[in-house]
Amino acid sequence: MKPTRFNFLLISILVLSVSVIAVAEKDEILLKNGNIITISGADIKGGDILIKGSKIEKIGKNIKAGTDALVIDLHGKWVMSGIIDSHSHIAVEGGVNETGNLMTAEVDVKDVLDPEDYNIFLALAGGVTTIHTMHGSANPIGGRGIVLKLRWGSTATEMIFKGAPETVKWALGENPKQSGFSMGKGRYPKTRMGVEASIRAIFEEARDYMKAWDDYNKKKDNKVKPLPPKKDIRLEVIADVLRGKYLIRCHAYQAEEMLSIMKLCKEYGVKLAVFEHGLEGYRITNELIKYGVGVSTFADFWAYKWEAFKTMPHSAALMAKRGVLIALNSDDAERMRRLYLDAAKTIRFGGLSENEALRLITINPAKMLGVDKWVGTLEPGKDADIAIFNGHPLDPYTFCEMTMVDGKVLFDRAKYFEDRKKAEEIKKQKEERKKAEEMKKKESEKKPDENQKKPDPKSIETQAPKGGN
Amino acid sequence: MKRRQLCFLLLLTLLVILPAVAFSADEALHSVWAVKDCKVIVQPGRVIEKGVIIIRDGLIEYAGANTVIPADAEIIDGTGLTAYAGFIDAFGDSTLKMPEEKTDPSKAYSGDYSDRERGIAPEIKAYDYANLTKAGITKFHKNGITAALVLPSKGIFTGQASLFSLSQTVKEKAVIIKDNLLGIGFSASSVTGYPDSLMGVIAFLKQEFADLAYYIMHTSRWEKDMNGISRPEYKAEFEELLPFFTGKKQVVFLCRNQYDIIRAIKIGSEYKLKYLICDIGGEAFRVIPELKKSGVPVLLALGFKSPSTSIYSQQGKDVRSEAERELYPSNAARLAEAGIKFAFSSYSTPEPDKFLGNIMIAVEKGLATEKALRALTVDAASFFGVERALGTIEAGKIANLVISQGDPLLKESKVKYVFADGIKFDMKEKKAEEGEKPTVNVSGKWEVTTEGGMGMKYTLELTQEEATLSGKRITQYGQDEFTDGTVSGNQISFTISISAMGRMVDIYISGVVEGDTINGTISFGAMGSAEFTGKRIP
Repeated sequence: MKPTRFNFLLISILVLSVSVIAVAEKDEILLKNGNIITISGADIKGGDILIKGSKIEKIGKNIKAGTDALVIDLHGKWVMSGIIDSHSHIAVEGGVNETGNLMTAEVDVKDVLDPEDYNIFLALAGGVTTIHTMHGSANPIGGRGIVLKLRWGSTATEMIFKGAPETVKWALGENPKQSGFSMGKGRYPKTRMGVEASIRAIFEEARDYMKAWDDYNKKKDNKVKPLPPKKDIRLEVIADVLRGKYLIRCHAYQAEEMLSIMKLCKEYGVKLAVFEHGLEGYRITNELIKYGVGVSTFADFWAYKWEAFKTMPHSAALMAKRGVLIALNSDDAERMRRLYLDAAKTIRFGGLSENEALRLITINPAKMLGVDKWVGTLEPGKDADIAIFNGHPLDPYTFCEMTMVDGKVLFDRAKYFEDRKKAEEIKKQKEERKKAEEMKKKESEKKPDENQKKPDPKSIETQAPKGGN
Repeated sequence: MKRRQLCFLLLLTLLVILPAVAFSADEALHSVWAVKDCKVIVQPGRVIEKGVIIIRDGLIEYAGANTVIPADAEIIDGTGLTAYAGFIDAFGDSTLKMPEEKTDPSKAYSGDYSDRERGIAPEIKAYDYANLTKAGITKFHKNGITAALVLPSKGIFTGQASLFSLSQTVKEKAVIIKDNLLGIGFSASSVTGYPDSLMGVIAFLKQEFADLAYYIMHTSRWEKDMNGISRPEYKAEFEELLPFFTGKKQVVFLCRNQYDIIRAIKIGSEYKLKYLICDIGGEAFRVIPELKKSGVPVLLALGFKSPSTSIYSQQGKDVRSEAERELYPSNAARLAEAGIKFAFSSYSTPEPDKFLGNIMIAVEKGLATEKALRALTVDAASFFGVERALGTIEAGKIANLVISQGDPLLKESKVKYVFADGIKFDMKEKKAEEGEKPTVNVSGKWEVTTEGGMGMKYTLELTQEEATLSGKRITQYGQDEFTDGTVSGNQISFTISISAMGRMVDIYISGVVEGDTINGTISFGAMGSAEFTGKRIP
């Protein structure tokens, strides 16, 4: 999952990676003369955005900033709120799946964040400012996930999106049932119905666990103090799932199993937040809307396995048009850098409007993650998470030029290339110096050769005799 | 292994009959020594320019400016020499010989892995698997190291450490403290059951500590009153972990990068453990504020490699090598500057040469020599609670010291004598220098046949560089490498450490070379010998 494509380009000087952060740390920034895509309202041609601290202060025309403000003239470039990727696995250290058990709700991505994952920087280069990074899909109930602001250069704790609800990853279908796996543990379950039954079983276990604690809490002040139940971190998380503490993100492809799990969840009073992938969701839009669950899906990625066959690139648009909350996600470090182009595909295939298409990568995923109060649109009072593009973000020739998180410029394409150029020059100079030194050395080595014409009798004496053959 | 085992049947029988034999007895003949007119570095910062050290029965009897030299002491003239406390390797596993792990491939289907296969092995004692050989000890001595903390490094609960004085191969005598430290690692074994991910390891540790706390509560309640309470199940694993969990003994977290250090501090403080941090990844300098706040001592490994998670490892070769040249070697200097206490670990540099060589690089990068010495001696001793016995040249302490020409941590300095537990070891520069100049060149392959009933054929691959000889013995069962052999005139001699029935045994080989033939003796020390003939393979 490490970047390979750009590696050869990224040369020398250690400060390169952090230098981009230092660009603009002014308290007040005025972005002038841009084409602003607010998402929440109409686009503003030739508009300005005033940023104070980490927040958007004002959006409109002819805004005046204080004398201390940093003014960036956008010369008509396109400005949009930072892209939000609601399904990814970057910035995670030491594996995204705990496959040692069927149910692993006890594991937590928050414990293994890698804030130096270079994919974070490359995501910023694609205008992404917020991601949801999570456990994989190996287990019916995997681990807990976390929403990150891509504050490149910060620690793991500082990157966590404050106020965002925690999530739990579930998975249905091929990945948890593992029936097509040639290696690996011969674990239960082997069928889709088995996967669902395993979720039901752990719900029951968690209910027993909750009851055991309730009973204990009632009796603990008795004269004969009972032994408390044993603490079980896994069941505690499942119990919190039953209590509705987490946003549940359920990986599923087929319509039938989505219908089935919604039924099970109703039975236990559990609310699913989002189906991951949900490629067959277009077939059950009425049911999805009635239940009130979102779908985080791909634009045109399908047919890579049996359960991903019965769909088409129109799927996301069809669902969105019917009123299902839809997001386009990456699930991949590379796709993450071009989500705005994926959004464009829903216009080509599904006939969405520009605004509808861009919602799929901004406000919709923000709603899914419970962070729409702070991000997802450009509005006064919201976080200054901003992506600036050289053209309209839905144009295939467009790329991201600058990305801000909390009012700080964390990616600046021009500066990045400038730094790279400098680094190459430094490298070149070093190499030339090295070459020159080597030349000097060679010349100085040649000279003693002439002196050695006269053999030194002592050196012959001390030469070790060559024995053997 | 069958034939090889047969070959050593005789040897092993003798091993059973005779008590374990310490090597080269003449080194231990005298038990009273007096080093006089020597520069004594009592401890870093306290120097006696011309002093006397009296060593008796393994301890330092006197160290100071002047005293009456006891009549029974053998005197060493220390004129022009410097004495300093022997270095302590704060964590290594190169002296461990763990049994070969064979995992039944069918377990990949059943998932039925043992706790040990899953890396949960608090019962493994380094003491049981430590293999102190003469050759191994000599390697340490050449670099001034006289004590080493040995700890298995694999898994989650990696095992329990022992601190050895590098004075003899008899570990019953060499051990200073046993089972004093529990290793905790963060690397999951990739395909051997739960946990198989880093996040799984952390969740596992949290659950394990919760279970331990419950075990303690349950046991104590039952012991208080056995009436009306179900008795706790006995758990061997928990019994091993108890002293470490309750803070009676220390644990050490083996940290592969900066994040592991943060994790260690989090877990250590949350569960109120008494703990050390081993900075295997060499990234302590990247989390100085957190380390400083925790006040936890760090055992620094000296690999100077950028871990794969580091930003410096993800931007191409140039960035990486620059970081490994400039940044990572400055780890110790930066910690010293921040006032964080540390010792040095040989874990990433198992060859003592590299261990000491890299400390010298750390000194070049700004670490004060005095700080480096402190880390190698007094500080390391204090982290393990043995500062009353080790770390300085003071009366009453274990006589572990080094006498060298030149001050410690200088490239041009040469170790002359090493004392470990009062036993004197002479450090020869190159053994061959005392012998004749070689008149033969034995480099190449030789077919060797040993005589007698249990005659055996194998290949020797020799490399001769002037008077020094290295190479390997290749049998159908494997290879045994050796260095430090010598060639003197037409005679060769070298020592190979081989493992027989899980025990390391040194065998001494010497021979006379005539043309393409070697005739000589293979000796198992006091336990017998055999003749052999070698023919050069053209």
